[in-house]
Amino acid sequence: MFLEMIQTLPQVLIDGLTLGAVYAVVALGYTMVYGILQLINFAHGEIFMTGAFIGTALFIFLMGMSWITAIPQILVLIVVLVVTASLTGLMGMGIERVAYRPLRKAPRLIPLITAIGISFILQDVVRFIAELSSGNYIVTGPSLFTEQITLKLSSVSSNFNDASFKSSFIIVLVIAIILMVSLDYFINKTKYGIAMRAVALDRDTASLMSINVNKMISLTFFIGSALGGATGVLFAVQYGTIDPFIGFILGMKAFIAAVLGGIGNIRGAMFGGILLGVLEMFAAANLSLITAGILGAEYKDVFAFAILILVLIFKPEGLLGRPVAEKV
Amino acid sequence: MSILEVTNLTKTFGGLIANQDVSMNVEKGSITAVIGPNGAGKTTFFNMITGVYQPTSGDIKLEGKSVVGIKADEVSKRGISRTFQNIRLFGEMSVIENVLVGMHTQLKTNLLGIFLNFPGTKKEELEAEEEAYRLLKHFDLAHLLNEKANNLSYGAQRKLEIARALATKPKLILLDEPAAGMNPKETKELTEIIKRMGEEFDVSVLLIEHDMKLVMEISEHIIVLDHGEKIAEGNPEEIRTNPKVIEAYLGSSAVHAPTTTQPV
Amino acid sequence: MVMKEKWSLFSQNKWAQVLLFTLFVFVTSAALYFSQKSVIAFLLLLSSLLILHYLKLKKITKWVVAAGLLFILIPFASSGGPAFQSYMDVATMVGIYVSMALGLNIVVGMAGLLDLGFVAFFAVGAYSYSIFATPQASNFMPFGTFPLGGESFWMFLIIGGFVAAIAGVLIGIPVLRVKGDYLAIVTLGFGEIIRILFNNADRPVNITGGAMGIASVTPPKIFGMELIFPNQFYFVTLVILLFTLFAVIRLEQSKLGRSWKAVRENEIAAQAMGIPIVKTKLMAFALGASFSGMMGVVFAAKQAFIDPTSFTLMESFTILVMVVLGGMGSVPGVILGAAVVTILNLQVLTELTNWINQLNFNGVISIPEALSPAKMQKFIFGAILVSFALYRPKGLIPAKNKVFDEKKLKDAIKKKSQISTD
Repeated sequence: MFLEMIQTLPQVLIDGLTLGAVYAVVALGYTMVYGILQLINFAHGEIFMTGAFIGTALFIFLMGMSWITAIPQILVLIVVLVVTASLTGLMGMGIERVAYRPLRKAPRLIPLITAIGISFILQDVVRFIAELSSGNYIVTGPSLFTEQITLKLSSVSSNFNDASFKSSFIIVLVIAIILMVSLDYFINKTKYGIAMRAVALDRDTASLMSINVNKMISLTFFIGSALGGATGVLFAVQYGTIDPFIGFILGMKAFIAAVLGGIGNIRGAMFGGILLGVLEMFAAANLSLITAGILGAEYKDVFAFAILILVLIFKPEGLLGRPVAEKV
Repeated sequence: MSILEVTNLTKTFGGLIANQDVSMNVEKGSITAVIGPNGAGKTTFFNMITGVYQPTSGDIKLEGKSVVGIKADEVSKRGISRTFQNIRLFGEMSVIENVLVGMHTQLKTNLLGIFLNFPGTKKEELEAEEEAYRLLKHFDLAHLLNEKANNLSYGAQRKLEIARALATKPKLILLDEPAAGMNPKETKELTEIIKRMGEEFDVSVLLIEHDMKLVMEISEHIIVLDHGEKIAEGNPEEIRTNPKVIEAYLGSSAVHAPTTTQPV
Repeated sequence: MVMKEKWSLFSQNKWAQVLLFTLFVFVTSAALYFSQKSVIAFLLLLSSLLILHYLKLKKITKWVVAAGLLFILIPFASSGGPAFQSYMDVATMVGIYVSMALGLNIVVGMAGLLDLGFVAFFAVGAYSYSIFATPQASNFMPFGTFPLGGESFWMFLIIGGFVAAIAGVLIGIPVLRVKGDYLAIVTLGFGEIIRILFNNADRPVNITGGAMGIASVTPPKIFGMELIFPNQFYFVTLVILLFTLFAVIRLEQSKLGRSWKAVRENEIAAQAMGIPIVKTKLMAFALGASFSGMMGVVFAAKQAFIDPTSFTLMESFTILVMVVLGGMGSVPGVILGAAVVTILNLQVLTELTNWINQLNFNGVISIPEALSPAKMQKFIFGAILVSFALYRPKGLIPAKNKVFDEKKLKDAIKKKSQISTD
């Protein structure tokens, strides 16, 4: 049994890293918003999904042009990423302005409920537009970066099976890492990043230091949503087919990743995302092996939620977080 | 006889020492005050006594029995009740309901009694309502009984918090800055209420307060905390003239200053 | 101005109200009886219960009138033609959802815990009856013969509620230690876990029938009569609903109800008043779940078939929408919210869709398929959640605190002090 697990490990790692990178970047959006407003932005998963749709629509539109073949695909991807990220970023800002800002002093249950509502509205609006323009809400984009690459690991060691992946895997991973590193730099090293952290720590004091709190919260939503939208594009490139309902559960899992790493902690979210992706793929590949066929791969969602519950019980501050005591 | 004995109480948050080796007693039926500059660790001290925080080391005994290591609701059942510095009322509930919540542990009915509305349950509930009403009357809040707690004036909210705390029938009540935000007339009223409280409700009082006039007027015993440590204790006259206390409040130069600056 | 005066005069005059109300009930029930296709008459007749809520009558009178309407007039007025069973079916579903929403209201409205996996308890109830009222149970039970007879249904109402309550406690123990905000996610996760479990528990031992579900559930039996028609289930549901309602109102005004609200309003202060936080929250979870579990049993018996698709995340959200729409913590509000959403789902949206399809078919207008009202459910729910949270967070009928009679309390105290001084 153990040998079998080792043999599939390279493939599990590759698939897990891809999924983990997606979780990680989406988790950033959750963790940033939670850090600054203590709000679980349920709509963030839907922003990711909207990003996937906008990206796919742009690809389909651009691929229809005859001159596009003259341009390297990677450039097209970058253009699509930038446009999508700006659009979803603005969308996130708008959602904050309309649905969350008026509720900042309301009981904490209330903004959570609007967040769920916004999430529903986005799902249905995207479904409506997709269905109206293409007749079906399940959309498949043009295939990009489909070159198949095989790692001949079996020649290195007979313990491993060969692992294979599309070239998009490398692109997704590299772009996700670039996004994460630049965010980390932005948060830790730039003036705006420091101001954002100040607002997250203590809103009142930050405003006394002449930081415009509302502007910083807007900026947080813009960046978080832009990252989420961009990840949507990456997701569409990697997995091809998308529908309006991919965001909800994926969003939940990204949130779990954020909690796993320590909510409010940027590096924690990245770490948690990657870890959750790999663990989930590992579970999907090996659950039925480990439990002698009783539990199959369909339990991998159960697995993710079980991790959440375990973390919340035993280490609620997350793997990289610091415990905080509530002020009385 | 002391009702509360605190010995060598220490609390640290990570590297930060909030309280260090604080020992003190509260005599039964007395009014004792804890004073000290902002950030001296007074509220942390209260939080440990009421079970909100667990001390890092040291012991707290109520009538000779330790209350360290048990949860806040159990501490309340043992007979320690409190008010909060930043008022914590049940805002959407009515004034009388707030007091009724305070009586929670005295109501003995169970689920079956609730569903079937046994005569015993009914009677118990009625008696609780009457008791709550009497308490409200005592604090001059009776006419507001059906008002939402959120809609009360600041002073009335402070009084309601005390009434709610007394509803638990405590042996010891901890008042965290009861006069904060009150106008002079309200403060005067409150001073009277606290003075009489010991007798009327058979309760010992431990309070944190910044209003030195109030503290000096009603306290029999005063403990001074600074930087988490006890720097002085004694009766009001002793505290008033203690150089360490003056230093803590006004800085070291004040002690040697020629003018007799009163820290009060 | 004149209108306003007249209105205030009318709202004071009890007899004018009663007269008008009787007239309204009479006209709508007659309309329903004689023109069976009129969904509007049916809905208007149901709405008479809402009007009754606002009438200036004594509480006991209102209860008696409401019982008369529900037990006699509504079933009778809708029995005039072929649509009878479909009306009764809708009314039964309304009853089931009202009961569930009342259960969720304890958790969300009173105790302030956002539970996004509430349908799990409904599923637990439904499966507990379905498994034992079909041969399914013999797959894993070492003794006994299955299916159990229809008489066991009544027993299972209690068992279903009880099992759901246990599930509530089991879920609650790990979850309720968690800080408030995470609760939503964790309960959502649990809701999904339970659905996935039911969906896959056909291997290695076939317990739940997996994705195929469980079919031909034994119909309930009472006095030798098998209950199979919606109008029969209508009465079963009604009785359970009244029981639920009674229990919820008693709970709300008890020390338990107060401690739920106290925990919702301020956890730290509640604890300082001697309220054990986790235990109190667990009680809310367990009691809320038990109402849901009980109705799960009714649902399974009524449908005679269940599968995991009846217990999706969307169902949990639907019940949440009912509570938010009606007013969190408000019993009459939640009843209204549940009725409105259920009728919207089952009647209004389908009727509208049919109507639009008809128009499309006749070429009167052309509305794209994507915009069909039946598909817009999520959008409607989302819009309700957002607009109510923003503009009317207390819902259609806001929760009210119990009003205490000052004079009575005063007198009681006076009397006692007299006795003690004598």
